[in-house]
Amino acid sequence: MRQHFPRSIESLDPIFAFTEAFFEAKDVDESLLRTVSFAIEELFTNMVKYNAAGPEEILLELTPIAGGVEVSLVDFDTEPFDPTQSRAAKVDGPIEDRPVGGLGLHLIKKMVDSLRYEYADRRSTVTFTRTVN
Amino acid sequence: MFDIQQGDAGEVVLAGRLDAAQCEKAQQFFDKLPAPHVVDMAALDYISSAGLGVLMKTQKRLMANGGGLRLINVNHHIRDIFRFSGFDQIFEIVPAAD
Repeated sequence: MRQHFPRSIESLDPIFAFTEAFFEAKDVDESLLRTVSFAIEELFTNMVKYNAAGPEEILLELTPIAGGVEVSLVDFDTEPFDPTQSRAAKVDGPIEDRPVGGLGLHLIKKMVDSLRYEYADRRSTVTFTRTVN
Repeated sequence: MFDIQQGDAGEVVLAGRLDAAQCEKAQQFFDKLPAPHVVDMAALDYISSAGLGVLMKTQKRLMANGGGLRLINVNHHIRDIFRFSGFDQIFEIVPAAD
C-alpha cells in the first residue's frame, strides 16, 4: 500500500490511520504497530523539518514481509540526509548535560531490524524493516 | 487523540497519543506546573521523540529547583523507549502492572 501525504505534522493522524489500515488488511502482527508508527513519525517529521519548502508530498509505502513489514518513505527534490549516519545521541550522564530533543533517529536504530538510505536524482528514500522477534 | 488534564489527586493524567502534533498542547500544560508532580501514564498509548522532549524540558526546569516528575503506570512499549533514551536514569519511573 502506498500513499502521498502533505508535508505537515497535521498529516500524522492520517498516516497513523493509513498504517493501522495496512496492518489490518495485511494481517500484520499488531504488537509491531506502535514501533512501526514511531519510526514512521520520526522519519516523516524529519523530512518535513529539513525540507519544509519541498514542492511535493511525501510518499509512504508499506509492504508485508515474512513476520512483519517493510516501510519506505520517499522525499522528492531534496538535499541528501542519511539517517543511518546520524550522530550518537546523549543518553547518559546528568540531566544538565543532556539536550532537549535529538533522540528520534537514535531510537529508530534501537527499534527496527534494518535501516537503509538511498539518494538519487534529488530523491531521498529511507527504508526500514521490523519483524516479530 | 490526545488528552492532558489534572486528576482528582492533583496528578497529571495523560491519555492517547503524545506525538509531534500534540507536543505543544502538552508543553503548555507542563509549563504551568509549579512543583514536583506525579504523571499518570496508564492511558497513554504512544509517545514519540517530540513527547520525550516535553518531558525532558519539564524535568530540567523542575530538577533545577530540587523537584522532578514521577512517571507512573508506564506501559511496556513506553518503558522500552524510556530505557533506550536513558530516561530511566533521570526520572522516577513506575511500571504499569502488566
